[in-house]
Amino acid sequence: MTGTSTRALVRILFLEEWRLHTELFGGRRFVAFPAVIAALVAVCGIGLVRTGTDPDAVVFGVSTLVFAFGLYSGTAGFVGDDMLENALGEVSLLLGSSAMLPLSERRLLTVFLVKDALYYCLLFVLPIAAGVSVLAGGPLEWASALGYHWLLLSLLFVAGMALTVAAITARTRGVSGRTLAGVVVLGVGTLWVGGFLGDLSGLVAAATGSVGGSLVLALASCGLAALSLRWYDPTDSRPTTTAADRFTGLNRRLSTVGPESGLVTKTLLELGRSSGGYWKPVVSASILFALVTFLVGVVRDVTGVEPAPGIFFGGVLGLSAFTTYNWVTQFDSVEEYLTYPIDVATLFRAKAVAFVVVNTPAVAVPYAGAVLWFGASGLDAAVGAVVLAGYSLYYYGLTVYLAGFDPNEFLFDGVRFSLFTAGVALVLVPTLVSGFVAVSPSPTLALALCLSSVLVGGVGVALLSRAGTRWREIYHQG
Amino acid sequence: MATIEADGLAKSYGSVDALAEMSLSVSRGELFGFLGPNGAGKTTTIRILTGQVSPDRGEARVLGTDPTATPLETRRRIGIVPEQQRPPSFLTPREFIAFVGEVRSLEPEAVAERTEVWADRLGFRSKLDTLHAELSRGQQQKVMITQAFVHEPEVVFIDEPVANLDPLVQEQVKRLLVAYAAAGNTVFVSTHNIDVAEDICTRVGIVADGSLIAECDLETMDEPLLETFLRHVDGASPRDVPNPTTR
Repeated sequence: MTGTSTRALVRILFLEEWRLHTELFGGRRFVAFPAVIAALVAVCGIGLVRTGTDPDAVVFGVSTLVFAFGLYSGTAGFVGDDMLENALGEVSLLLGSSAMLPLSERRLLTVFLVKDALYYCLLFVLPIAAGVSVLAGGPLEWASALGYHWLLLSLLFVAGMALTVAAITARTRGVSGRTLAGVVVLGVGTLWVGGFLGDLSGLVAAATGSVGGSLVLALASCGLAALSLRWYDPTDSRPTTTAADRFTGLNRRLSTVGPESGLVTKTLLELGRSSGGYWKPVVSASILFALVTFLVGVVRDVTGVEPAPGIFFGGVLGLSAFTTYNWVTQFDSVEEYLTYPIDVATLFRAKAVAFVVVNTPAVAVPYAGAVLWFGASGLDAAVGAVVLAGYSLYYYGLTVYLAGFDPNEFLFDGVRFSLFTAGVALVLVPTLVSGFVAVSPSPTLALALCLSSVLVGGVGVALLSRAGTRWREIYHQG
Repeated sequence: MATIEADGLAKSYGSVDALAEMSLSVSRGELFGFLGPNGAGKTTTIRILTGQVSPDRGEARVLGTDPTATPLETRRRIGIVPEQQRPPSFLTPREFIAFVGEVRSLEPEAVAERTEVWADRLGFRSKLDTLHAELSRGQQQKVMITQAFVHEPEVVFIDEPVANLDPLVQEQVKRLLVAYAAAGNTVFVSTHNIDVAEDICTRVGIVADGSLIAECDLETMDEPLLETFLRHVDGASPRDVPNPTTR
């Protein structure tokens, strides 16, 4: 035991996290981030309710998002862990100091996770709760709903974190990724067989809607996290990996791409060799697919109208551009390339080629599944495919223009996040509305959507080409 | 004939002045040591001279090119071993150097041959097919040194050349840099390690607070470099050793 109290450790780690974000994005822009989140959730919630969605369904949708964010946040405590670095790239935080300080890695990890839970429950979950509580009515109702929603969402966030911590612990104890995937499939299958899958909102309500249910969820999450941290093996590491030269052959095959073929080859090899490989963009697209499927079901239940699946899925699945761009920029940095005769615009072009190679199959498979599952008409499926291609390019260009080489970081920058959200809404909302209005698109609407998709795709390409000049200037300023 | 020239370079990052008035000139065949304490402006100077960032004021020339106006032309003709740690790469050293050869438009066969030579020279042949992300820092430094020389540039910039290397390889790298400069090339070494500078450099520029405050020709100097350095940097004597037991 050292002289450093747990409270002092939490305080230091909290301060580090705060400074990391305020330094990265600028104090004001970062402080604006919770306000933007709250406003966004409130506006979307009100919009959905006014168009006939049940407020409980909105709360359930938000709960799902917060749970998913908890799943992701559970990984943060393991920066420096070989397995996580292989999957997500290297991150350096005070957490890595356990080797130099008289603190056990397990204790530092526990404190880090507690800090993360507190930090994000304040910074992320509270604004979401504030936004969704607007649906309760006037100021008094809002105030009482805020406490309830904050507690509910915080419980789900912590539950998500605990599940991830448990999965990572299992990996350090030799449980394979396939076994873990099998457990997930088994869990989902059990829910399906038990008839719970059709009423997930009921399940969440049962777990969070009463004092007893909340207590059980809280105790289960904390218990799972505590057990996992006790069993976590910090000494686990992968054996050294060797690989035959694949760069030369692949680069030769990609030489038709142009002078940036080497950069494309490097990107593809690095993504493919990291943990999870090319499946990572597929999983990201599949999560988006599941979310859209759920939304379609909710809207159908509430309004009795099922949107044109091709147009609907084409428009929303295009958002995979953001996550795929994140994956193809995960294992390098601009600073690395600035030491070679490589222009920033060339770098962005190379990443765009890698994006097309990786993203096309990642979104084509779920899109094909959607049009088959929902029985899209031939015209709707074809229009949706054009929308998917055009919008993917647009979202991609918008992301690169606004975020440069660091798509992950701008999520916490209030100004850029607002611009990105507005840019997405500008094209997506009218498309989704047209998908509802014309369940089976007329030839005129189909033509209009195809033309607008080509136009929007062109805007994406223009943004991408301007991004080179814009970010070259920014990077050269240091 | 000067291969590297800086005249009145100034650079600020927000409210922090990284360079105030940096002027220097380095000739062909010199192994120039750029010596200074942490935060003195060494890395910023290198980043300007190699076209990675632009100065707020002043001019720079490297091999007759302007790194601010034509950074790609400058970087095509020089080699750089940067200071900062890289994100993990999942290429092997063999593939990584092939990638560098590709962006430098070198023949793949020539790159493969030079990779083998350098791997033998720096002792990482057994690691040529190990993923870069899994190499030790020292091994990664060897790979970074190799990539900087693979196109046989006339000018090489190296930030902390022997950091993370074991003593044997440190000696090999030092001898290599001396020989490379003696062959008519220019080697610009940025370091805060006085022993390294004294050991290999022909001339040293001492930098503090963003300016070059002194230059010493090591072949004609009659006092230890440490004395000169401390006299110029903070006026302290090297014998003023702080007592570690004093509270």
